[in-house]
Amino acid sequence: MGPTPAEPPTAPQPSPPPNGPRRAEGELLGHPARITLSALFLAFLEVSLLGFGGPIVWARRIIVQRRGWLSDPEFADILSLCQFLPGPNVVSITVCIGAKFRGPAGALASLLGFIVIPWTVGFALGMLFLSYAHITLLQGILHGIAAAAAGLIIATGIRLLLPHRRRPIALGFAALAFAGLAIVKLPLLIVVLGLAPLSIAAARPPGAAAP
Amino acid sequence: MSSPGAPASLVAHIALLAMISFGGVPGVLPDLRDFVVDANGWLSDREFANCFAIVQAVPGPNMILMMSFIGWKVGGLPTAIASALATFGPPCALSFAVFHFWDRFRETAWQQRMRRGLAPVTIGLVVAGGYVMAQTGAAGWPSLALTAAAGALLLLTRFNPLWFLAAGGALGGFGLL
Repeated sequence: MGPTPAEPPTAPQPSPPPNGPRRAEGELLGHPARITLSALFLAFLEVSLLGFGGPIVWARRIIVQRRGWLSDPEFADILSLCQFLPGPNVVSITVCIGAKFRGPAGALASLLGFIVIPWTVGFALGMLFLSYAHITLLQGILHGIAAAAAGLIIATGIRLLLPHRRRPIALGFAALAFAGLAIVKLPLLIVVLGLAPLSIAAARPPGAAAP
Repeated sequence: MSSPGAPASLVAHIALLAMISFGGVPGVLPDLRDFVVDANGWLSDREFANCFAIVQAVPGPNMILMMSFIGWKVGGLPTAIASALATFGPPCALSFAVFHFWDRFRETAWQQRMRRGLAPVTIGLVVAGGYVMAQTGAAGWPSLALTAAAGALLLLTRFNPLWFLAAGGALGGFGLL
């Protein structure tokens, strides 16, 4: 990744008021004076191309560790918002980080970096595979990959559930959501609209007595 | 294979699912499979499973790519692109709109309560996604055992999950599943 023009401000200038309304955020790190649009584009291009089996892991490595644009708590905070938003989580993260630094243009630059080139590469490769999918060998390989990947998804869900293990109500709602979708085969819309309001109503804020 | 209205119907359904895919895209897989395989017959069970498998083996945004491959099968390249846009467009607009608002009220009780209430539901949806995909494509017991082993190893070890996908591909390639 070539250094981008405005990137290395060897000494962060005392305090040029950052453009836009990002003051509200507790500025833990003293963000690099100006993260350019092309820097955002390149960072998320890298996240997307490297992101085999878990782009969130790569997003953290690149944005927090390599670039130092966010601290871990800042990243975790954006992550928790994005897990709550619908859609591919990592796309929401991309948009939120881009918006945090450069507003709408930043969100767009990050999103384009994340999507355009990686989608084209992945689509071309995938079409190539799919056109040979009838071959027995490839069919076997794909079947094996799919079976393993299904296991990874289930395990990721279980890992996310662990922090809630002492809340029977939470476990109950997780089980209901699972059963509604996988066993009863209800449409997702019905499951979400039916369970989410009840689950929120049943949740107590963290300070309150255990449910 | 598919009727003239199929592409629009698919893209609209994907956009709807994307807007309610709390917890990420895997949670929509059971509903999507019902829609394209069982209800409309646009893809066979096997083809749906192939789309899921292939995106694990290529770089790029994998769930967006999966929707693109399904779109391709239903209506060629235009539908593939429209399906990709439907997957991330509406959620992106929402993320952008919500970000500042959410950020400002992060510490409030109602927001924490919403988080705690939504989390279990979204987790249940994610597990359901894995469960349905494990059974897609005429899975016998060796295949289910592989799913269980991959899940257990991810939880109990620190290996890079790419190894599990590679091992699964090797076992399948040797015709052991």
